[in-house]
Amino acid sequence: MPAPNRWVVTGKFTDDGSNAWRRADGTWSRRLVEAGLYTEEALANAQVAETIANEQRQISDAYVIKVYAFGATIDPLTARERIRANGPTIRVRRPDPERGSKTDGD
Amino acid sequence: MYQYDDNDRRIITERARQFRGQIARRLSGEISEEEFKPLRLQNGLYMQLHAYMLRVAIPYGLLSSTQVRKLAHIARTYDRGYAHLTTRQNVQYNWPKLADVPTILDELATVEMHAVQTSGNCVRNITADHFAGIAPDELEDPRPYCEILRQWSTFHPEFAYLPRKFKIAVTGAPGEDRAAVRFHDIGLRIVENERGERGFEVLVGGGLGRTPEIGRVCRAFLPKRHFLSYIESILRVYNLFGRRDNKFKARIKILVTALGIDEFRRRVDEDWETTRTPELELPNEEIARVAAFFEPPPYEPLQTSDRQLAGFELGRDRDFGNWVKNNVMRHKVPGYSAVIISVKAPGTPPGDVSDTQLDSIADVADRYSFGRIVVTHTQNFVLSDVKTSELQRLHAELVALDLGKPNANKLTDVITCPGLDYCDLANARSIPVSLEIAERFDRIDYLNDVGDVSIKISGCINACGHHHVGNIGILGIDKRGEEWYQLMLGGSPGNDASIGEILGAALAQDEIVDAIERVLGRYLQIRESEDERFIDTVRRVGLEPFKQAVYGSVAKAAAVGG
Repeated sequence: MPAPNRWVVTGKFTDDGSNAWRRADGTWSRRLVEAGLYTEEALANAQVAETIANEQRQISDAYVIKVYAFGATIDPLTARERIRANGPTIRVRRPDPERGSKTDGD
Repeated sequence: MYQYDDNDRRIITERARQFRGQIARRLSGEISEEEFKPLRLQNGLYMQLHAYMLRVAIPYGLLSSTQVRKLAHIARTYDRGYAHLTTRQNVQYNWPKLADVPTILDELATVEMHAVQTSGNCVRNITADHFAGIAPDELEDPRPYCEILRQWSTFHPEFAYLPRKFKIAVTGAPGEDRAAVRFHDIGLRIVENERGERGFEVLVGGGLGRTPEIGRVCRAFLPKRHFLSYIESILRVYNLFGRRDNKFKARIKILVTALGIDEFRRRVDEDWETTRTPELELPNEEIARVAAFFEPPPYEPLQTSDRQLAGFELGRDRDFGNWVKNNVMRHKVPGYSAVIISVKAPGTPPGDVSDTQLDSIADVADRYSFGRIVVTHTQNFVLSDVKTSELQRLHAELVALDLGKPNANKLTDVITCPGLDYCDLANARSIPVSLEIAERFDRIDYLNDVGDVSIKISGCINACGHHHVGNIGILGIDKRGEEWYQLMLGGSPGNDASIGEILGAALAQDEIVDAIERVLGRYLQIRESEDERFIDTVRRVGLEPFKQAVYGSVAKAAAVGG
């Protein structure tokens, strides 16, 4: 795995607890691939503080993760964050109808 | 089965209404997640890796068919078509939306169920032997005492904010502990003293997690009438002296170890002498009143069926015979048997049961077992009261439901925590490992040859999958963000309680099931006879032969590093 070169702000949608990634335009997506990339960790941390202060109704438990970004690919560095992004690796009886098709979580 | 009285109905309805208001305030942004979190946890609502998770309490694992149908309805209507059986005999839903939770709780209340105290630092669901009330080796049915404890501990104001969660289990079978009472904060064993009086042996300070401990005897014999007052004194000493500065040191086992059992006992006795009052004494009439809810169902007078069972085991229908051999247990009433419904079919996450399966289980319970179903802490179901003469018909129905696997207490009957596929705390996935085990060893002759071997998997040190007490335990660990697994051997949750020992260096996911196969291969080579169980062989020879089987040599195991 190459060294991380970007940071992403993530959290949970309060309504259903699903995972959220902050886009560059300030809206929140259910897809990691749409996340806005921060070149400095401090900027991402500042955004987390801003989210906790002003977006707590929509987003819970915001935090920063390191990623490896190349072209259109965003790879988390840990198994945990990869599973958060892609969903359970085992069969779920009724798969999430939204995952992979819904492009906004607003 | 216990029936709610007006007080039960009132407090559960009020709590559901209160939580509805709290959720509305969270959804409107009036309260933050930080403010909401302790409120939701008190109502069994977690935030997990992908969604909220709602844990529903099932006192001592006992359900009516009506309740099971309600669980099916909730799975179908508000979740993703399934529920998950937990190791505290509860069920949990992995995908509820926050706005739906109040309605789910209202639905549960209609069938005398709830989710309170399934999380948080309080007394959790009281568990019991899953064969309670029907086991031939039972001295007395433990469920009335579980129910008394449930009523005493529900919303107990003094114990709503303990240093950490608190788990109690009760067994009435002195000869075989099927409730793992030695691995609970308090374990209660119904025993008889030398005068033939019934009472409790009180064990304290057992537990799993990052500091596994076997419970120690706090009182060898506690008369029934002092049951509540003495337990209350234990809780009070824990509440006063348990650590609150470090959550990893906050369980009662840490306090008991720090003080020593003698000093802990002295403090409990000191408190007990000054605080026990007549109001907390349990008169025989009250015990009898609660016990009346657990009266046996109207059994038909039948002949003993032991020979019939033996005939089934050896009969031409091998699938049925193996199922009888492994999943059917002797019953104390002649002509009846207890059936373990395995929720461990290959390809399905262990303990996951679909809405349609739940509905069908309710139906078969109505037709074969007086409408009662028990959830086991091993993530299966039990039908307690099946006529032996009807076993073959029941088996055929369960097979059609994909619930007829003849693997109870066998290698593929794995206790599995949700792991990193669902859990926010996990380091590694548990379910895929369990599924690989189910697939690899899904050969009935091999399962029968290897015999009773328990495998238990936890995705982190919190040990929800009870890995410390698996004959074979697997612990998921994190190494630089990747999943690895430690293999342990020699654990047992029963009367012969023991904590497993780590075999050697951690293994990658694609190595772990191969390692188990090598361990079992070595066992088959070195066991003294077919009657020597895996755990007995491990105890006889130690870990060395198994280390060599897995790692090639001890030197290599040490060199790889853990």
